[in-house]
Amino acid sequence: MLVAWNYRYRNSPMDHIDPRARFIFSFAILFAATTTWNPNILFAVFVIAITWYSLGRLTWKDTRFGWLMISIMLFTMIVINTIITGGGAGGVVPPGGQLVWPDGVSIFGRHLNIGLTVERLWFAVSQLMRILSISLVFIMIPYTMDSRAYGVTFSKLGLPDRLAYTMELSFRFIPTLARNFQVTLDAQRARGFELDAGKGNIIQKIRQVAPLLIPVTMNAIVSSEDIANAMDLRGFGQRKRTWLYELKFHWWDWAIIAFAVVMLAAVVLLAYHFDMRLFSVPNWWYGLFN
Amino acid sequence: MKDTYTTGKKKSIWSFGTKEVVYAAIGAALYAVVTWAFNIWQIPGAGNVGIRPAVVIPMFFGIAFGPIVGFITGFVGNILADMLSGYGFWIWWDLGNGIMGLIPGLFSAMVYKYNETKSIIWGELSVILGAGLGMGLAAISEMWVSGADINTVIFANFLPAFLTNIVWGLILLPILMIAYAAIVQRSGR
Amino acid sequence: MTENQPLPLVVENLTFQYHTRSTPAIQNLDLVLEPGQVMLLAGSSGCGKTTLMRCINGLIPHSYHGEMSGEILIHGQSVKGMGLSQISTHIGTLLQDPERQILGTYVLNEVCFGLESQGMSREEMLPKAYKALERLHILHLKDKETFFTSGGEKQKVALAGVLAMEPDILLLDEPLASLDPASAYEALLAFRELADEGLSVMIVEHRVEDVLAINPEKVLYMDDGRIIYNGDAAGLMDAVDYSRIKLPAPVIARRAKNRPAPHFQPTVPPIDPHSQPLVSFQDVRFQYTADTPEVLHGINLDIRAGEVIAILGHNGSGKTTTVKHALGLLKPTAGKVLLEGVDTKKSTVAEAAKTIGYVFQSPSQMLFAATVREELAYGPKNLRFSPQQVEENVNWAIETVNLEEELPTPPLALSFGQQKRVSIASVLSMRSRVLMMDEPTAGQDYWNYQAFMSTILQTPGFDAIVFITHDLDLALIFANRVVVLYGGEIVADGHPQDIFQDEEKLIKWRLMPTSLLKLNQQLWPKTGQYLRAEALSQFI
Repeated sequence: MLVAWNYRYRNSPMDHIDPRARFIFSFAILFAATTTWNPNILFAVFVIAITWYSLGRLTWKDTRFGWLMISIMLFTMIVINTIITGGGAGGVVPPGGQLVWPDGVSIFGRHLNIGLTVERLWFAVSQLMRILSISLVFIMIPYTMDSRAYGVTFSKLGLPDRLAYTMELSFRFIPTLARNFQVTLDAQRARGFELDAGKGNIIQKIRQVAPLLIPVTMNAIVSSEDIANAMDLRGFGQRKRTWLYELKFHWWDWAIIAFAVVMLAAVVLLAYHFDMRLFSVPNWWYGLFN
Repeated sequence: MKDTYTTGKKKSIWSFGTKEVVYAAIGAALYAVVTWAFNIWQIPGAGNVGIRPAVVIPMFFGIAFGPIVGFITGFVGNILADMLSGYGFWIWWDLGNGIMGLIPGLFSAMVYKYNETKSIIWGELSVILGAGLGMGLAAISEMWVSGADINTVIFANFLPAFLTNIVWGLILLPILMIAYAAIVQRSGR
Repeated sequence: MTENQPLPLVVENLTFQYHTRSTPAIQNLDLVLEPGQVMLLAGSSGCGKTTLMRCINGLIPHSYHGEMSGEILIHGQSVKGMGLSQISTHIGTLLQDPERQILGTYVLNEVCFGLESQGMSREEMLPKAYKALERLHILHLKDKETFFTSGGEKQKVALAGVLAMEPDILLLDEPLASLDPASAYEALLAFRELADEGLSVMIVEHRVEDVLAINPEKVLYMDDGRIIYNGDAAGLMDAVDYSRIKLPAPVIARRAKNRPAPHFQPTVPPIDPHSQPLVSFQDVRFQYTADTPEVLHGINLDIRAGEVIAILGHNGSGKTTTVKHALGLLKPTAGKVLLEGVDTKKSTVAEAAKTIGYVFQSPSQMLFAATVREELAYGPKNLRFSPQQVEENVNWAIETVNLEEELPTPPLALSFGQQKRVSIASVLSMRSRVLMMDEPTAGQDYWNYQAFMSTILQTPGFDAIVFITHDLDLALIFANRVVVLYGGEIVADGHPQDIFQDEEKLIKWRLMPTSLLKLNQQLWPKTGQYLRAEALSQFI
């Protein structure tokens, strides 16, 4: 099995933004979007997130798996929960409200009363804006960030060297472990192992993966001793580490951080000082159902 | 004249030296690879339980190498698994997976011989606690993030993840612990 | 160099005992390494060479614990009280497996790892990294991902990472273990070049014959934790047991003169050229995906009962890909593979296992069970043998590899050699007709692998045996047919005698002619067949 990373250098604007600025910005969006249910603020954050995403110049082909997964999640969350079953919507939407189909609907000659309200439908739209805002900024990170940049980024963001280096070392061993996994899979198949030869109860089924999992895991642990020796022998952790990968901070990175801070501060101020954090439905939305 | 070099007393479960860096990195990489490998096969699960053998890896690395290694294995491992699959970052689920390794790590001080019944019982207990807290936190964060109500969170987010994880964890953890006991015996560690 | 300048490395009366062991791993060792010297440290597994290296590079006492006495001086200064990072500025260590030594995802990052640990700025480290890469002539690799470099390149990349820290002493732990003959030779030349530039190089290796090619100034031989021999290369030839380490063939032949030749008779049945082939490759082509290059270009190969086939070829020549087709683990993109007449596209891998038992290179890639007995029963159970048959097969297999007393032991707790035998037994227990082995001797020293191969080839129960190797001598001694792969094609197929005659071609295929081959060629008029060095003694 050959792992393929999704990162490519695309010479996009995003490629020229310092990863530190990018992480700060992304978390600012996360917190801003989760601070309020106010429709205007959510819409503003959503627009900012779309703009940010467009800086990465990602194509649909690049990211379709990510969006597929998000769609599945959104579907269960919004369609099933909020629209069809109509729970309390997290206590955000006050009970009662205007029914979308006050007279019920007829499907295949049957008359149904559907409890979906205009308010809950708008809540679904709000959820969509919120989750998409967050998804947009976070889904793009692996596609637009060089694997060599993680260690130095987290180190410069204040993480201790050993922790910052861990992720970098993980990147190094992923292809090796994927190959080892393939070798073990082949070795066990050569002994008659078949993955979907699912017989027996659930315990037996789960135990079937032991011939794959044990050699791969134990091999990895045994090789850890050599890897740790290799690191010690080259002075790892003896003093403050530097990084070959260079992070360059430009004026626009400062501008992005400043923007992120101001945006988040503004959202918090509006939400808590001006009481704009609660759910409300814009008037034009009611207009659509009259 | 002889110089004696000793480890002294058993290391604190919170120590994080070069070996722990490697265990954490390898654990995370392994979690990502195994998750990804079973994802691409898309093997039909048994009943409502998905194919998630990888979840045992943070649990096992926690029990064997302590809470920090366990946490990183789950946290970074989940990030890397999502990267491989192209799913992006899901910080609260990453944290939940981290906790799933951290809690067993807290029990690591109680485990000396990995193939003893007592050790395995501690391990199993830590699996339930870890999966409960980890998936609980991740699920609750969905309330905060997406405004889902408690029923949705419990039935759509928490229970499927929790049940899948403990079923795989409870069955596979003892198997890995017994295998590791043999490795320890061989190397005289 | 002036007289009173202290030597790079002096070891005096060194003894070390691990805390977990009851006897010292090394005892009363003395050695001296001078600038510009290559020192070969030879010995079989468990002789204490690894422990000695750990004492010198500081892993003992910093990572491994025990009791140490004696003295190690680096440039006249005792290592006691030196930290690992201080030692690492003088001593560079290349570990056995470059796959585990390489820490960077990209070559340049790997080379800079030590410099990053020293806290150097990018401006300081880049020139050092480039210099190290240039010294090994691999600057062109700098932006490559380390995972995708070849075996020989990996080793050089790992070495560059060590050299970037500008040590003046190099410790190389079995540096040839993972390399094909041509890459091993290139690596050795690189080591010599570094010594000629003034470094002190200590090579720990049991492939003594290969290292002798670069004329080490000093040779040490260790056994059971002690130095048995310390002198020049010529003296070594008579000082050590020639069955323990691999000496040049003429030396073995000369020294074995008055001893009985070892008896060896493979147990496969005689070849019947008209029998149905057990395995048949018919114009097999293969590419992993439509947009990657083809890796097998029309392989034609029949394997019949009675054959002992050595598949030779450089790293990446397609040996493993070919063998995976025989098992049905890969299916050809064009052409077909038949197992006893059945197309692998129409059968499962499990069915293929009845014809071919495949032993993977490293036992740790397959051992998983709680006991050896369960391990051996795994294959036959999967093949749906009756419980009674499983029992019989397990007992037969374990007797064959002579490990009956280990049936209740967890395989993961066994030594490497025992694990190797268990992995073979776990394939034997399926009673396949053809035994296939990938690099059967990897990770074993000379003594063990000679004994191992003799035992396996004299194991009854197989119609044919196939092994993949890049060890020419192994093919020469044990095979009655040799298949050479080069760049995804079979470039030679026939009797060893016919194929090994043309030295130029061997070099082109990256198979280096060995001293055993040369001696055999010389004695051909008298012998009329290829023999192992011990057996050649009666002809000289």
